[in-house]
Amino acid sequence: MIRLLFLLCLVAMPAFAADELHLYNWNNYIAPETIDRFEAYCRCKVIQDYYSDNEELLAKLAAGAKGYDILVPTGNALASLVRQGALLPLDKKLIPNLKNVNPAYLNTPFDPGNRYSVPYAYTVTLIGYNVEKMRQLGLPTDTWAVIFEPKYLARVKGRVTVLDSQRELMAAALKYLGYSANDTVEAHWYRAQQLILRAKPYWAAFNSSSYIKELTVGNIWLVHGYSNDMFQAQNDAKAAKRKFTIGFSIPKEGAVLALDNMVIHKYAPRPDLAHKFINFMLDGRNSSELTNMIGSGNPNLAALKYINPEIASNPAIFPRKEELGKLEMLQDLNMEQRRVLNRLWIKIKIE
Amino acid sequence: MAKNFGKWLISGPPVLYLIVFFVIPTCIMVLASFRYAGEYGGLAPVLLRDASGAHLNLTLESYQEFFSDFIYSWLFIKTLIYALVTTFFCLLMAYPLALLIARSASKYRDLLVLLVILPFWSNFLIRIYAWMILLGPQSAFSAALNGFLGIFGVGPVRLLFTPFAVVLCLIYVQLPFMVLPLYANLEKHDPALLDAAQDLGANGWQRFWRVTFPLSLPGIYAGIALVFVPVLGIFAVPDILGGTRGIMIGNLIKQEFLEARDWPFGSALSIMLTIGAMIIVGGAALFAGRRRKGDV
Repeated sequence: MIRLLFLLCLVAMPAFAADELHLYNWNNYIAPETIDRFEAYCRCKVIQDYYSDNEELLAKLAAGAKGYDILVPTGNALASLVRQGALLPLDKKLIPNLKNVNPAYLNTPFDPGNRYSVPYAYTVTLIGYNVEKMRQLGLPTDTWAVIFEPKYLARVKGRVTVLDSQRELMAAALKYLGYSANDTVEAHWYRAQQLILRAKPYWAAFNSSSYIKELTVGNIWLVHGYSNDMFQAQNDAKAAKRKFTIGFSIPKEGAVLALDNMVIHKYAPRPDLAHKFINFMLDGRNSSELTNMIGSGNPNLAALKYINPEIASNPAIFPRKEELGKLEMLQDLNMEQRRVLNRLWIKIKIE
Repeated sequence: MAKNFGKWLISGPPVLYLIVFFVIPTCIMVLASFRYAGEYGGLAPVLLRDASGAHLNLTLESYQEFFSDFIYSWLFIKTLIYALVTTFFCLLMAYPLALLIARSASKYRDLLVLLVILPFWSNFLIRIYAWMILLGPQSAFSAALNGFLGIFGVGPVRLLFTPFAVVLCLIYVQLPFMVLPLYANLEKHDPALLDAAQDLGANGWQRFWRVTFPLSLPGIYAGIALVFVPVLGIFAVPDILGGTRGIMIGNLIKQEFLEARDWPFGSALSIMLTIGAMIIVGGAALFAGRRRKGDV
């Protein structure tokens, strides 16, 4: 009996003694080799948990989840966490690698002065397309007009999907109309709604989940979606040796940029490890591995030299300076605005 | 006493389970539908405290919103039509199938029933994604159908991302729920009844309509309830296959809770749906009850 207890203690001991970092991250949003290297570096174990959208993260924390050290919220979710006082201020002395971050991605309205957050990676919401079909049909690929104007859409009727997201689709329509993606003037929203309703009969679906596959197999020719998804579709089509290629580009009118940030939760059990992790991830090579894996945008200047040149030279993943100025991060709406927008959206979905 | 205790021991846990996970959440949802939405999502507090003391912070605005625009009622009606069509075709296809199983040799029956429930062994979502491939423009199924239609000079039709795809998949998903109660009922029929009817001169058609069918009515009602009610709330099928025109009330409820972060309105929609389903099922039960009484 005593021997059994002793054995049990031996088995259980590492579980108590080992240093653990709890990372609550997006699905598929860190390279496995990066984790391995961090574990070796800090002699600890990284335990990951995943979410698939910001709402899920916010809901879980709102329900009282504790025990996470690092979270990776997008801009507007970050703002909400900051306002709720759910985050631990960063000790910048412990993050010397902060100097590697491109200043263009620092000091966002979501966390002025980066008291709580450090940029991790970003995606751009843009248009992806079947290059050969677009050429064959003589359609432009540098403007939102191709998604919204019936004169173009008539040629790709039933072969287009747009994101099933109020904010993203409205932002694209607002951008096309020349407004800011964060415009909250109701008359402008109404115009955007009319634009969407006029284009809707030509679209096949509102789709946020399976458009990668539909694009890859050639059922859909033109989609409104996220840059890293397009990167995946492009690679999948290549790997499957399709007769066509997938391209993606940022429309000239501008688009939405979603910046994900590393933050430390207020109830983090190990803020020391969390700071270590943040500094580690801001190292150029460590940061580059995610970009090479999923084609996400990278706000880290030191990472550029490690990034696959094909990705680094793609202006849809690394926007040029003049394009960067036209990209906007979505800000959170208040309850009243959300209701107005939601009502416009219901009309769009049901009519 | 001991006997009662045993009874409670057995039925207590499921009753408790239903109270904790069904009755209480339903009450919470009813309350939520009268509350204000919180600034960051969730719900605003029920009690507001100010200088004059605490007062209730409740509202009817979610229900006012529901009745202010016909668009919501229209979505209910549309969902109802989808559910009715689905139930009708499920019944049409399940009845002969259940009858076939019930009348086949007893050594095959278990195997046939097993085949009916076999699809449940693979994940619901995977089966819907499979339909996406089947209905896609490049699938053999689409090609064959369009080739057939081409003979009659009807242009190629698109299957994926249409209301047709939604209803087709709903029928596919719900069919076993119609087959099983029907089979359970039909299997118990005494074959001697049919022999007796035959001896009295009834032909095959009459034997079905005057013996088998009336006896199977409880199975039909059970099947209809099992198919109709879940379809009212479904959202995954229209989400994946529905395209721009296939949305149902379940999608709207999901959207209110997740994207719009308007829990009160989402709750109000859920409650309206529950009430609607209860009226329909209650009405049908009443109708069926009256019929049965009339038969006696």
